[in-house]
Amino acid sequence: MADWGRTTLELIVEELQQPVKLDASFERRVMVRVRRLYATQRKHRGRWFGAAAAMVERPAWAAALAAGVVAIATIGILRVRPWADRAVAANGREPVQFVLVAPSAHSVAVVGDFNNWGLGDSALVATNHQGVWSVTASVPAGVHRYAFVVNGKQWVADPTAPRSSGDDFGMPSSALVVEDSVK
Amino acid sequence: MLGLEGMESSDAALVARVLHGDVNAYGELVSRYRDRYARYAVHMLGNREDAEEALQDAFTRAYRSLARCEDPERFGAWLFRILVNRCRTSGARRVRRGQTFVHDEGALMNASQEHPAEQTMWREEIERAVGELSPDQREAFLLKYVEELGYDEMSEITGVGVSALKMRVMRACDRLRTLLREVHSG
Repeated sequence: MADWGRTTLELIVEELQQPVKLDASFERRVMVRVRRLYATQRKHRGRWFGAAAAMVERPAWAAALAAGVVAIATIGILRVRPWADRAVAANGREPVQFVLVAPSAHSVAVVGDFNNWGLGDSALVATNHQGVWSVTASVPAGVHRYAFVVNGKQWVADPTAPRSSGDDFGMPSSALVVEDSVK
Repeated sequence: MLGLEGMESSDAALVARVLHGDVNAYGELVSRYRDRYARYAVHMLGNREDAEEALQDAFTRAYRSLARCEDPERFGAWLFRILVNRCRTSGARRVRRGQTFVHDEGALMNASQEHPAEQTMWREEIERAVGELSPDQREAFLLKYVEELGYDEMSEITGVGVSALKMRVMRACDRLRTLLREVHSG
């Protein structure tokens, strides 16, 4: 233990604490993403206000407009989600990987309107990879709502995705837009 | 950025500016934390490419969720929590792809220009040994000794209990001792 002791540990830590300098382009790359998000958010706000005004005049359009806003708001976010693995679409369905970091969970399932909210045996059971739970599902193109069910009872929205405009069953849920890659 | 009295803007002030539509203020936050947190990501993920991707993603997610940052004065700690989670995800994906830990060649090349050869070798041995730790042990060791966090803070960030974290740190130290002894005896 004497060889390993405090001095050696300090030497190791000293090496690991050496600064890591990133390339100057790093900040620019981050800010390109951020400015893109900012522009998208501003655009959405404008459309939302337009939609809200239309709803007052024409209530029949309210549902369609609200769905449209959710769609616009989530397209950009989906594109930057690194784990939204995509493959060739089949019959208008797209593979979407759902990921939740929950190290202390015993089970995680995904429920949404695309699997009838997990009623019956339709829940998508996620697999644990050292605390990172994931499952890939074939989801039809369109706007969807979904949530994670942790330990069979705790209903949680995806912390990395936007909340959906209305909560289902009084529970929090997230918005998901699946784009048809064939179109 | 320098304020009126030559003082840097606080994180809370920058966050407030961003939330009021000043995107450039976010660039200052990126500049403030990028190198500091790049070190954690590089050691955790073992290569610069994955580390930069994880860090970029963490900054982007933090921007997207900035309104949900409950204590803007502690933006750095909040961002770090996002990065730690992102590194976990990235590490898990790498395991699923069957990749092995690769030490940071770029950092080693830089180091060789700044340090004598022996120190470069020592650094390489350390990088390799850290890469041999399990992700849980590596995370705990880096948070405790390199980022110098207390166990309570580590627990808050990782969602893991203090006892479990202490065990992971202890096992990481034991494993490093074994690995580095093997190197020296070999």
